[in-house]
Amino acid sequence: MAILSGRNGRVGFDSTPSGSPSEAQQIQALNAWTAQFATEFEDVSAFGNTNRVYVPGLRDGSGTIGGFWDSADRTLWNASLATSPGKLVLVPNISDTTPASGSPHDAPSFTGLAYIDFSIDCSLAAPKVSANWRAAGNFALEN
Amino acid sequence: MLGSDPTLLSHMTNGVYWAGEAPEGSTKFVEVSLADSDDVWVFQRRAYEDALYLVKAVMLSSAGPKATITAAEARIDALLDGQRLGIGSPLGVDGYTFMDMARERRLRQTERDDLDLSIKWWHRGGYYRVQMATA
Repeated sequence: MAILSGRNGRVGFDSTPSGSPSEAQQIQALNAWTAQFATEFEDVSAFGNTNRVYVPGLRDGSGTIGGFWDSADRTLWNASLATSPGKLVLVPNISDTTPASGSPHDAPSFTGLAYIDFSIDCSLAAPKVSANWRAAGNFALEN
Repeated sequence: MLGSDPTLLSHMTNGVYWAGEAPEGSTKFVEVSLADSDDVWVFQRRAYEDALYLVKAVMLSSAGPKATITAAEARIDALLDGQRLGIGSPLGVDGYTFMDMARERRLRQTERDDLDLSIKWWHRGGYYRVQMATA
């Protein structure tokens, strides 16, 4: 079991999704990401049940990305303009490559096709960027 | 930058020093201290350093008129508030990209001697926030 810090997280995006997750271009100056894979449930309670009964539907695939505006990296802005989805790679810890036992591997990542939007908040402090992403295909936990 | 400004040095003739390093016997000097510091991170690296410096002119009341330290305070503000420090320039910092430097609040304080109330030290200056991004 490895509980690691989120400080070494990473968000990568590949506008031409053909390579492996490790090939996705890292988006600079980010410090937060979230992912929600909540499952919708249908209430199928019937006469005679002693508690509510549900059946699962599909999982959601959405989340947020946040950080600072870095004028040298337009990846997030360009991703928001794309008319076709790119490969989004969300890594909790990029250094998580050596398990307690077993062979080294790329860091675990939540990967899939996604659309991204873009927002920026420019106040007297360092400008902050934020984005929402929505799955455009199946997401998987890789590695 | 402060220590090489002739206008400031004409007012604070003893020079510019880090806190506690002014020579004994100094009566008109500028003191700089680090009041607070915060490192702001992004994934995998420090994004920028956010430091709050206290920069103040310190003057013994018997060393000259109050107008001297008032002028020094104004000169400090003119030199620091809103100034830009470019990499590679004499005012820049190697390895960093300048973000911002501005005064957050003023300092105006008079310190009296406990035994002789006629002995007064004037402190005039401000807290200046300096933000520098790692290059």
